Amino acid sequence: MKQHPLCTDCESPVTPLDLPVPAAVKQEWAAIETRRRFLGRSGKVLGWAALAGLLGEAGLRSVAAGADLTAHPQDHKIDLGLPHFAPRAKRAIYLFMSGGPSQVDLFDYKPNLASQFNKDMPDSVRGNQQLTGMTAGQAHFPVAPSHWPFRQHGQSGTWVSELLPYTGRMVDDLTIIKTINTDAINHEPAIMLMNTGNMNAGKPCLGAWLAYGLGSMNDNLPAFVVLQTKTNPKENNQPVSSRLWGSGFLSSEYAGVGLRSGADPVLYLADPAGVDREVRREMLDTVERINRKTLDEVGDPETNARIAQYEMAFRMQSSVPELIDLSKEPQSTWDLYGPDARQPGTFAYNCLLARRMAERGVRFTQIYKRGWDVHNDAVGMLPILCGETDRAAYALVTDLKRRGLLDDTLVIWAGEFGRTVYSQGGLSPDNYGRDHHPRCFTTWMAGGGTRQGVTHGETDDFSYNIVKDPVHVRDFNATILHCLGIDHNRFTFKFQGLDQKLTSPVEASVVQDLLA
Amino acid sequence: MRKADLRLDLAEWAMRKRPHHPDAIVPGHPEKSALIKRIESTDSHFLMPQTVRGEAKPMSAAEIATLKEWVREGAVYRPHWAFEVPVRPAVPAPSALGGWARTPIDNFIFARMETVGLRPSPEADKAALIRRVTLDLTGLLPTPEEVAAFLKDTSPDAYERLVDGLLARPTFGEQRARYWLDYARYADTYGLHFDNSRDIWPYRDYVIRSFNNNKPFDQFAMEQIAGDMLPMKNLDPLIGSGYVRLGLSSNEGGTIPEELRVNIARERAEAFGATFMGLTVGCAVCHDHKFDPTTQRDFYSLSAFFNNLDEKPFNDDRPVWTPVVRVPSPHNEEAYNRVLEQRSDLETKINDMRCNSRTLVAQWLASGVNPPRPVPASGLVLRLRLDEGSGEELRNSAPNANPAGFRTSTMKGEWGETTWLWPDFRMQSSTRVLLGQTGDYEAKQAFSAGGWFMVRAAPSHPGSFGTLLSKMDSTQHDRGWELGTDDGFVSVALVNQMPKGSSSTEKAKTQHKNGQKDKEPEFKEPFNYPTPQDLTKKDLAPNKPPAQKKAEEDAANKEKAKAKAEAKAKKPSAAEPSKDTTPAVAIRVVSLTPLPIDNAWKHIFFTYDGSGQASGIKIFVNGAAVPTRVVTDNLGGATIRNDAPMQLGWRNPEEHPAKDARYQDIRLYARSLSLDEVERLPFEDYAAEIASHPASQWTTDQWHVLSEFYLNHVDPAYQAVQREIIPLDKQLDLLSEGGALTQVSWEKPSLAYAHVLTRGVYTARTDRVEANTPHFLPPLPPGEPRNRLALAKWTVSPANPLTARVTVNRMWYELFGTGIVETTEDFGIMGQRPTHPELLDWLAVEFRESGWNVKHMYKLMVMSAVYRQSAKSNPQQLAKDPRNLFLSHGPRFRMDAEMLRDIALQAGGLLVERIGGPSVKPYQPPNIWEEVSYPTSDTVHYVQEHGDSLYRRSMYSYVKRMAPLPDMDTFDEPMRDVVCTRRQRTDTPLQALVTMNDVQWVEAARALAQRVIREEGSDPKHRINRISEIMLSHGVPPSMATALEASLRKMQKHYSADPKAARSLLEVGEKKRDPSIPEPELAAWTMIATEMLNLDETLNK
Repeated sequence: MKQHPLCTDCESPVTPLDLPVPAAVKQEWAAIETRRRFLGRSGKVLGWAALAGLLGEAGLRSVAAGADLTAHPQDHKIDLGLPHFAPRAKRAIYLFMSGGPSQVDLFDYKPNLASQFNKDMPDSVRGNQQLTGMTAGQAHFPVAPSHWPFRQHGQSGTWVSELLPYTGRMVDDLTIIKTINTDAINHEPAIMLMNTGNMNAGKPCLGAWLAYGLGSMNDNLPAFVVLQTKTNPKENNQPVSSRLWGSGFLSSEYAGVGLRSGADPVLYLADPAGVDREVRREMLDTVERINRKTLDEVGDPETNARIAQYEMAFRMQSSVPELIDLSKEPQSTWDLYGPDARQPGTFAYNCLLARRMAERGVRFTQIYKRGWDVHNDAVGMLPILCGETDRAAYALVTDLKRRGLLDDTLVIWAGEFGRTVYSQGGLSPDNYGRDHHPRCFTTWMAGGGTRQGVTHGETDDFSYNIVKDPVHVRDFNATILHCLGIDHNRFTFKFQGLDQKLTSPVEASVVQDLLA
Repeated sequence: MRKADLRLDLAEWAMRKRPHHPDAIVPGHPEKSALIKRIESTDSHFLMPQTVRGEAKPMSAAEIATLKEWVREGAVYRPHWAFEVPVRPAVPAPSALGGWARTPIDNFIFARMETVGLRPSPEADKAALIRRVTLDLTGLLPTPEEVAAFLKDTSPDAYERLVDGLLARPTFGEQRARYWLDYARYADTYGLHFDNSRDIWPYRDYVIRSFNNNKPFDQFAMEQIAGDMLPMKNLDPLIGSGYVRLGLSSNEGGTIPEELRVNIARERAEAFGATFMGLTVGCAVCHDHKFDPTTQRDFYSLSAFFNNLDEKPFNDDRPVWTPVVRVPSPHNEEAYNRVLEQRSDLETKINDMRCNSRTLVAQWLASGVNPPRPVPASGLVLRLRLDEGSGEELRNSAPNANPAGFRTSTMKGEWGETTWLWPDFRMQSSTRVLLGQTGDYEAKQAFSAGGWFMVRAAPSHPGSFGTLLSKMDSTQHDRGWELGTDDGFVSVALVNQMPKGSSSTEKAKTQHKNGQKDKEPEFKEPFNYPTPQDLTKKDLAPNKPPAQKKAEEDAANKEKAKAKAEAKAKKPSAAEPSKDTTPAVAIRVVSLTPLPIDNAWKHIFFTYDGSGQASGIKIFVNGAAVPTRVVTDNLGGATIRNDAPMQLGWRNPEEHPAKDARYQDIRLYARSLSLDEVERLPFEDYAAEIASHPASQWTTDQWHVLSEFYLNHVDPAYQAVQREIIPLDKQLDLLSEGGALTQVSWEKPSLAYAHVLTRGVYTARTDRVEANTPHFLPPLPPGEPRNRLALAKWTVSPANPLTARVTVNRMWYELFGTGIVETTEDFGIMGQRPTHPELLDWLAVEFRESGWNVKHMYKLMVMSAVYRQSAKSNPQQLAKDPRNLFLSHGPRFRMDAEMLRDIALQAGGLLVERIGGPSVKPYQPPNIWEEVSYPTSDTVHYVQEHGDSLYRRSMYSYVKRMAPLPDMDTFDEPMRDVVCTRRQRTDTPLQALVTMNDVQWVEAARALAQRVIREEGSDPKHRINRISEIMLSHGVPPSMATALEASLRKMQKHYSADPKAARSLLEVGEKKRDPSIPEPELAAWTMIATEMLNLDETLNK
């Protein structure tokens, strides 16, 4: 069915280049188009808006009426029709706890385990679970109850470990999911599955999908930004890799852009020594002058794209420094986030930046915090890890809420799997280690249309198997997309003959219980 | 599953009769065909097709008419175009062609252009042409002198001579190799977890060399798929076989061996499919391909070819893991190659015998000479063949066995993951096999025990073996007997009492009775050729992480030490073993040399004569007695009887496990076997059993066992050839000493097979399938072994419809920017149709019939009129064909990442044009690796190199898979995790930031500025003109000159006023600048050069 040419999700895309409009308008459109391609701005909303601005509504109508509306078959992007429905979240911030946080010690309260101390976990509980190479040779699987007491918090009376006092304060804002489960038991495949929906390399990550589908809300900042937290040498820092924020088969412009602490917050952003803004402007003006001439002579529309590309780079050189300039943050910010937030590269600093990006229209921010891989000395490690993250996560959610941003910002806290209730290696009254556990782990979400103060799903007495309401990683991702107005089944990209999607070809469903 | 058991894409399915369903298609009768009724229906429930959610999605009237007509005409299914062998089509002769065509290519192009109402563009001017063709064939710019000479040369064959000259340059091989490295997924790290370095750069040199020598593509392809199995005159085929091993690998601590093995075979099959077949076979990992005819069975049969390498399953975080070959240095190459050729001839003989083994075995058995003799069953009290293949019941097949069987307890074992004599049995971590009181002997009772074991290493337990078979009670001071291994040393113990924990923690090698320490046993990689036998542990040691800045490192180490101390303080006290003062009363005998820890099957056995003396114990590996030493010998007549059950893999109750070991044919004899009997146990006994049945009943596995036994133990000719090879290998080792190591392929003698996995889950094995090619493509010749060599030959056989098409299509893509089939990676049903199908077939046949002549094909393409067109486009062309698919003008697109950096270096004269060698580490912004890497990875710190290494061509830059070079990444260099046959070509602001601000580009601009200042005297016009000639191959046009001169004046003014800024700008980069040029002057010109380097025209070819 043909739709009105001004409709943003019309089946047969038409661009101003198809229309009998003045060359200047086409040129402007091409420039905007380029920006859209960089920022992943979907649909031709921007293009049409700009065109309307140039011609006035009436002019546009008359132009459209006379236009040949045959489709450009190659331009799939315009046809995405996103969002599929009114989104509850406009943007998302993903706090990725790499290494696999211990649900047993943080959220999944099992008071009865105390009596099981050092007893072998029953084989019937373990069932046919394949173990990692690290504990596969263990003769015994002694139960290690959590070292820390749990307390009830908030109106909801949610149990949270003493390790997370700040998280305890915000439980009434959270949807806690105790029954996430994954197919992978080792870091590499599990972290890939969590981020890209597939255990093997080559697929785009959640952020790239969002950048492709929704684009940025700020023309001068990338749609998808990745922040690395400085590693703490005391921790077991499992590696991450750029394929976790890669674009897979989607165009590489949708890959996450790293925002780094240090001189070059975006790689190559700073002008070289001895080149000031004035020199840069002069250089760009000359380049543009010559490029325009080239465009006239050769007639390659890509030249237009290049002209716009250099202009955007110039603007980014100011917008990014403004983003990371924290000097105007009020004292209340520092009171909330704590002193760590003043140190570039800390998790608290990154959370603060994430809030600033949310304000500025970055679609998706992902913060990696490594170190949760507590195979041994869980008792020594977890307080450090929680100390680095607990307050900052609370501050981020609270800050967004105070600023009225939480309603349309989805915050996600998750790792790639959980940890075993039984101890890896020796167990003593004061210490234990925990191996990887894929069958159940805990994550939380806040804002962006998720329910508040609820806990979803139940695990068995050993936090080993799910007894009620499992949520597979695929369902989790489908739900995240849903919050952002995307039907995961309809958000596809044809590659290798398949309509590829984030949730893989396997069935996945949105978990309605998590949604407000 | 498909609803109603129907699929319409295959004739056999669409036409088949389905009970209780109407016929979908009745050829010739649309009115009787349910298919037509459905698509014409007005009932929205009945109507097809429907969306996944069951909403009606009617077809257009035209589509329906077409389908109806097709059914009326007989509903003929034609195979997909790409699966039919290409035949050379007639070259079209369009009447309007005139004199435009220069090659047959042009006739096809012109004819197609006509159908869409387009006309070719005029030929590009000579300057544009030489720039384009030089960039395409060498990846570098023509020098202004070359341009001038070409412009001056007005002879009719000037262009052809130019092309010939370019094809002969060594940079041609570099440029082709650069593309091929994408197709082959080349990288310098193994890609997962630690993502450590991996030495395989000689493969890159091999690729460059192959293109430069114009190696026929069929040979090139065969070498990469199965070079290790081809006759060799030099090492190239073997180095080329490194292709198979270029994919990701892992040594993550918790990795499950089966999962990794399956993943690696799968990755190789997918890569092969993409590189050589242009098919996305990986879609069939989980299910039959939805659109292409590739079935799951096809996919796993294909993966089986790559599942039979004699390789280390884990990389141990080393830079090389076997099989590897050592490349001789140039001065030894000739001598090395002479020996290699001799060896290759012998290897060919061996392969011929193997191919012929069924006949040889039949002749041998018919002759009655040396028939296989069984081992007498007397005294055999326990025989667990473990060939049940499933379930929890283990049969005791000893004669009159009592009990007749056992049950696994706690957890079932895993059956059939690999095949040895038959599909095997593995103990899961909680599997227990309790064998009751069988084997409860006194020390004066003679007995013998052992069997086939695969004791496995894994990243988390690289060497710690354990109990293989025991009747020992650890709750009673280890009373009993045990066969086990410690770090590969085979150990037999008869114990009355031992102090707690002694034998499981004591390293068998540590001391003699007299307290002297043994020498560290010599380390040998367990592999045969091609891995050199004199490689030491040091050669193969993992690289250490490079040091970071001293202060940081020290701080980090301090933290670590502190954390460690803290952790230690908190360590559970239970882990401390209590001192047990029980004196040892026991016999313990240990093999002198350790078994290699290579996850291979070994027959491990011991005999005991009941003497109560250590001298009464003999240990055998694969039927041969091995030297031993005595650790303890004071049992005397003390009892070893106990109440503990005999156990596989554990010491009662739960100690000293042989983690996840595999077992086959475990035996216990209540007597001491003779040497001759033990020698026959591993193979001959079973061979005799097989031979007692008629050959017609033998399974493939049984044929294989008999062949192996015959060749290795009976056939004197085979063994003689084997013996001849030994001294040659020694010579090869010597002649290659000190050379670079590179990973290669090496085939195992076993059968190549794999399992079909439900949904691709490694534990969900269904059918075992032999290696085979996809069923919808031509079959392998019958009677030949199904191995990689067969696959290699098949790939380049004339019957193969894909290889030639896929390859010429990629050549086209490299030159024209878009393939004739745009989806270079997918020639399947869902791939794009070729824009010029006849041309593609013509080129494919031409390629094959030219003897797979690569340079011929490139020459043909660049000589064509279509290639030589001007790149300028007009609105009419843009309107009719915005992407220039019909090629009405010449190709113009942004150059790839490597080319851009290379020409920037070249322009300033910085480029170091040395071919080949190890990868280099040029400039990179700080903290790229550190941010993502594991702290003990050897690629955690990027240590930038200096001097020439900064200015090599980009194809030599080190590729770390988990953190690509950011400048290359920004310009769409693929990550090399998977095969990439078509790069993305994006335009983003991040790219502008690289070319404006990256130190490499700023330095290149300065070098370019310096060059023209030195070469061109003082007139700015001349200098600007020169820059234009260097970058663009033509003099500066007036408008550009005006813009640049104006800019120059501003820059000069600016830097004269701010000499400090000028100096700062000139200090960027490590190359020393020319101090004779005044700083403000050089700075201003540096900015002019930057402007030139950032022009659209510069960045495009």
